[in-house]
Amino acid sequence: MSEEHAKNAARFLANKEQEQWHNETLWQVRGKRDRLAMAIPEWETLREWASGIKMHTLSHLDRYLEQFAANAEANGVKVHWAKDGEEHNEIVYGILKERGVKKLVKSKSMLTEECHLNPFLISKGIDVVESDLGERILQLMDEPPSHIVMPAIHLKREEIGALFEEKLHTEKGNSDPAYLTHAARLHLRQEFLTADASMTGANFGVAATGDVVVCTNEGNADMGTSFAPLHIVSMGMEKLVPDYQSLGVFIRLLARSATGQPVTAYTSHYRKPRKGCEMHLVIVDNGRSRTMEMGDHRRTLKCIRCGACMNTCPVYRRSGGYAYTYFIPGPIGINLGMLRSAKTYAGNLSACSLCCSCNNVCPVKIDLADRIYAWRQSLDRLGKADRIKKGMSKGLKFLFSHPALYRLSLRLAPLLRYMPRFLMYNRLNGWGKGREMPEFANESFTEMWKKGKVKTHTNQRSHE
Amino acid sequence: MSSKEEILSRIRQTVGTGYAMPEIILPAGAVEYGDKTAQFAAVSESVGGRAVVAGKGADLNEMIRSLYPAAKTIASNIPEITLATFNPDKTGTPYELDGTELAVVRGEIGVAENGAVWIAQNVKEKALYFIAEYLVILLDAEKIVHNMHEAYRQIRLNDYGFGLFISGPSKTADIEQALVTGAHGAKGVTVILTSAV
Ligand code: SF4
Repeated sequence: MSEEHAKNAARFLANKEQEQWHNETLWQVRGKRDRLAMAIPEWETLREWASGIKMHTLSHLDRYLEQFAANAEANGVKVHWAKDGEEHNEIVYGILKERGVKKLVKSKSMLTEECHLNPFLISKGIDVVESDLGERILQLMDEPPSHIVMPAIHLKREEIGALFEEKLHTEKGNSDPAYLTHAARLHLRQEFLTADASMTGANFGVAATGDVVVCTNEGNADMGTSFAPLHIVSMGMEKLVPDYQSLGVFIRLLARSATGQPVTAYTSHYRKPRKGCEMHLVIVDNGRSRTMEMGDHRRTLKCIRCGACMNTCPVYRRSGGYAYTYFIPGPIGINLGMLRSAKTYAGNLSACSLCCSCNNVCPVKIDLADRIYAWRQSLDRLGKADRIKKGMSKGLKFLFSHPALYRLSLRLAPLLRYMPRFLMYNRLNGWGKGREMPEFANESFTEMWKKGKVKTHTNQRSHE
Repeated sequence: MSSKEEILSRIRQTVGTGYAMPEIILPAGAVEYGDKTAQFAAVSESVGGRAVVAGKGADLNEMIRSLYPAAKTIASNIPEITLATFNPDKTGTPYELDGTELAVVRGEIGVAENGAVWIAQNVKEKALYFIAEYLVILLDAEKIVHNMHEAYRQIRLNDYGFGLFISGPSKTADIEQALVTGAHGAKGVTVILTSAV
């Protein structure tokens, strides 16, 4: 609920230094993304294509799924279909159980988070080991990721150092990232070499060939699948692209958008099982076909989970992933939460200033902010309007008390007309309750407003 | 009805308007590189890797030795790489590859825009690409293309049914965004660009 989001954000904001670090670090990632995007004159064309390819694929999804599954089967991959998370988990467990698997090593997969696979398998006695460094850190802490690409972005090195000291017996007080990473390398290598099965997600499925494409920087998916005799792929049905030519468009966009890298270190194509081994593919619906029925909201299915909308979002950067009640935070998470259960997750709608920055960085051109706006419009029907609108006001107050955020949010200007005057000028502090308000906040806003800069700010483009 | 049929029939009811597939033809002014080799080397550097040019007639074994003077266990199935201490294709299981300090493999296509090298599996166990502490990839400089569109027009998988693009060493920034190489895979990657000229 909005109250919950505000409370969670307040907790995050209580640690000022960390909040500032989080904000600035993600903004740097955004900056890297900009530099790489700008080095490619055809960048906007690529985004158009990516959006168009996804819309095309989604509007012929039945055919592409059949083609993909037929090719995968012809390649010797065993294909399973899961209507929902529960069926997905049962299928995975069934495969593991039949083969007596004790240890499963996993690479990062938002879909398995969505299906709550890990707790399910653990309850069945399977040793589940996350192998992405960030995911492993969080697993050892027994906490969920706070970002879909940088899962441990909310943690400081000292916290990780202390965790490793306890769990991996690293040196006392050593929190050097290189030292800790290499300690994790040694620890996880043993896990790779002793696992009975590996599991990966899928960044893309190529209909024309049956390839499953997995992109990582660490090489953890590759290590996992190189040893254990069984590889299970868990794939959302919206991950399909028609062919290699379309895949090329997405590979050019993904890492640049996600982390500001020209490409991930590894872009792996899995087409057949390793000699003498097994490869299983679980294609998951879990609400996606329902989303397809929801008019314009269908566009959220274009998402390639790059995380760029989080890195750019002024509210996400200042409130952290745990402020959101759905497991995926940020602009896309607000949308996916609403699609999962509008009743349960409507509170997250307040975590948006409608600055539309997300729309402008999204590599597949999802109109995330417009979707959020549309959800807000439909709140009356959900009977949640009052509570949520209250939350929205808080969000706006939060924004106005942060001049840097405010500057990023010039797109909000049209909305100001509808804001009661007291909201714009009072000194209450919304989400930042208990937090000192920067003294110049109101002043700078007023100044800008008077000078007419709100509408004509020349920096607007560079902030988009 | 099976889950498969149920899912597909539900999708069939919802697909709605068919959107046309965009035509993927790069517009005029799309990025191209005057010197693809130089661009490839520069990007390789920027992603923590390295590309070195071997002139015609250069002694590859000598080059590799001088790049990795300390390497003791060196795996390669390329006959010309005589400094290899073992042929990885002769090992029984991928587990035996643990402890490999250096692997020397061949790449097929290089991509100038991102320093990636395409390899369709060309060793018995793909584990070799990831478990070796350091990786050397031999690539014909003529095989560098501008971008991923070109690369995807050319790549093919073979009977192994696995292939990948590698761009630089394994890396992570999961601890405070501090970049560390050698997360799980190779701690360093050198692409040796061979050329007929
Ligand atoms: S909505 Fe767009 S920007 Fe956000 S994660 Fe998905 S693809 Fe990336």
